[in-house]
Amino acid sequence: MEQKLRNEARALLEQGKIDWIIGFEVGSLKFTTTPLITKDKSDTERLVINPFIANNLANFLTQIKGRVGIVAKGCESRSIVSLIQDNKVVRENVVILGVPCTGVIDLSKVEKLVGKDRDELDDIVRERDKVIIKVNGKKKELSTTQALFDHCLACELPTPREYDILLGEPTPPIANPAAQESIKKLKQVAPEQRWASWEKELSRCIRCYACRNVCPACFCQRCFVEETEPQWVLPAPRWQDNLIFQIIRNIHVAGRCTDCGECERACPVNIPLRSLTRGMYDIVGELFQFKAGLDKDALPLMTHYEEKEAEDFFR
Amino acid sequence: MANKKISKKDIAKLLNQWSREFAVFVPSKESGIATMARWDGKDVTLDWYRNTVIPKANFLPAMEEMFRFQKDKESYNIELPPDGGKQLIFGIRPCDARALAIIDANFKNLYQDPYYLSRRDSAVLIGVGCINPSESCFCTSLGISPTESKDVDLMLTDIGDQFLIEEVTDKGKKLIAKASGLGEATKEDETRAKEMKETSYNKVTRKINTEGIVERLIACFDDQDFWEKIAAKCISCGICTLLCPTCYCFDINDELTKQQGTRFRSLDSCAFPVYTKMPMENPRAEKWKRVRQKVCHKYGFFPMSFNAIACTGCGRCIRLCPVNWDITQVLNNLPVKTEVGK
Repeated sequence: MEQKLRNEARALLEQGKIDWIIGFEVGSLKFTTTPLITKDKSDTERLVINPFIANNLANFLTQIKGRVGIVAKGCESRSIVSLIQDNKVVRENVVILGVPCTGVIDLSKVEKLVGKDRDELDDIVRERDKVIIKVNGKKKELSTTQALFDHCLACELPTPREYDILLGEPTPPIANPAAQESIKKLKQVAPEQRWASWEKELSRCIRCYACRNVCPACFCQRCFVEETEPQWVLPAPRWQDNLIFQIIRNIHVAGRCTDCGECERACPVNIPLRSLTRGMYDIVGELFQFKAGLDKDALPLMTHYEEKEAEDFFR
Repeated sequence: MANKKISKKDIAKLLNQWSREFAVFVPSKESGIATMARWDGKDVTLDWYRNTVIPKANFLPAMEEMFRFQKDKESYNIELPPDGGKQLIFGIRPCDARALAIIDANFKNLYQDPYYLSRRDSAVLIGVGCINPSESCFCTSLGISPTESKDVDLMLTDIGDQFLIEEVTDKGKKLIAKASGLGEATKEDETRAKEMKETSYNKVTRKINTEGIVERLIACFDDQDFWEKIAAKCISCGICTLLCPTCYCFDINDELTKQQGTRFRSLDSCAFPVYTKMPMENPRAEKWKRVRQKVCHKYGFFPMSFNAIACTGCGRCIRLCPVNWDITQVLNNLPVKTEVGK
């Protein structure tokens, strides 16, 4: 799959079909990859596909001018489709190199289960439905349920539906119910306790805005959180303001969020943000029978209305 | 005079003595992330290499109230926040302690920031050396050893079941003079500590070359292609600055109701497009200029002003970056201008 990607990417650049290629290359730390954004065809040799391709590359599409070839897992392809729906990306300007994705390894989960920092691990290898951790000459086997990101376990579209070139054989969803456990648990908690729990979690927020900046659905040129007239929230990390920021961000990406999990992964202070975004994703599904990023010709959920809207005031 | 030592299991007893005089802070994961937290009387865990949230936060909090004001006819009444008391920071790493010395250049020496100084001057720093530096650490390239004692009052070195204690400053000596439950370090302990220090030093494998760094940065300052290329994957979030132990940029905001209000100071980041937009505009609207600023401020402008690099090689910016943007790769690949090209 990796070699095919390199060949295709090089050919596309050579033939002038694209100006840029966006993919992944090996990162500077163990078990990491990093976005590779380049015009240079010789860089295509560095493209990789492995169980650590965590970023949602669709995020870069709105920043780059010209025709772009982009490596897309299922979640990325949905984000791209969602951006097309919102007129943020022109379909003809993108060549989607689809990657059937079997899930990305969550290093934080692995660290917790193995009881060691990622730095201390010798190797992490994905083998079908297992993840093998090598540490101090010993092997420890984890199931994919234990080692993959929750959003990967919950992924409904691991193989892109929208693509130009599919780089491998389609792979079925993992559809593991364990993925929803943490959210289910949170919903069962009494409201007062849930409030207290969010107070604790959001008190750690440092307002780095990584959750917003990694999010392909957060494409606004100006974000409400930085507006000063009026000032909707204090731009300082007080927990109540952090809460308002997250609530409004969630409402703004409703119908656009594809549950790629990047907000939670990027958070440097471990706030379980996916509990909010996935919660909203499910609400959107229940109320509107809408899932983001599945049909590029469908109208975007929040920016159109139909005559038979549920609410009278729309008519 | 011989150094002292303390058994690891007696650390809590020692902290208990000190907690009568100081607000004691220790590394903790209680909040859900590794940070310096108020000591809760339990045993202290020091098995991870550094906190995510920097000890800088004890001196320059992410957000602090500067004062409250209330309108009184034609004037305002100002109410200052209460004094936080004396802090004892136990378990600070040498990189983070050096960072405070770097921040001093601006907040203590060039300006005298009362908020910072009220905390900094009364605080005691008790360092614990890193015996397992992380893959992202590069402190040795910045003249810092992972076990060095230069910037703390007392320095602890792990020698197995015990810590060797070096008394670095008068503040530290006073603390030790009053403390009970300490032993005298033997020659073997000293040898063991020396070995540990050497081993730790050699475990730091990430390197940068700081030789002539200011001149080299100036030389490539206008190389837009280079900066655009390295900035391409940056997402302009604030992780690498807000969680940097030496970054200190701040923003000031008022929260107002009808007749009264509160003035807050909070950390700001040059990575943000809205940075300095309050007074006028951000002169670095393009992302590559902001990335260049971050690199050049730390390794170029700060050394030009204060004769020190504003980086301690703690590696947080590498480890925590959502896109693995790595400053060591950038610094090690600065374009070199060749005479031929002229």
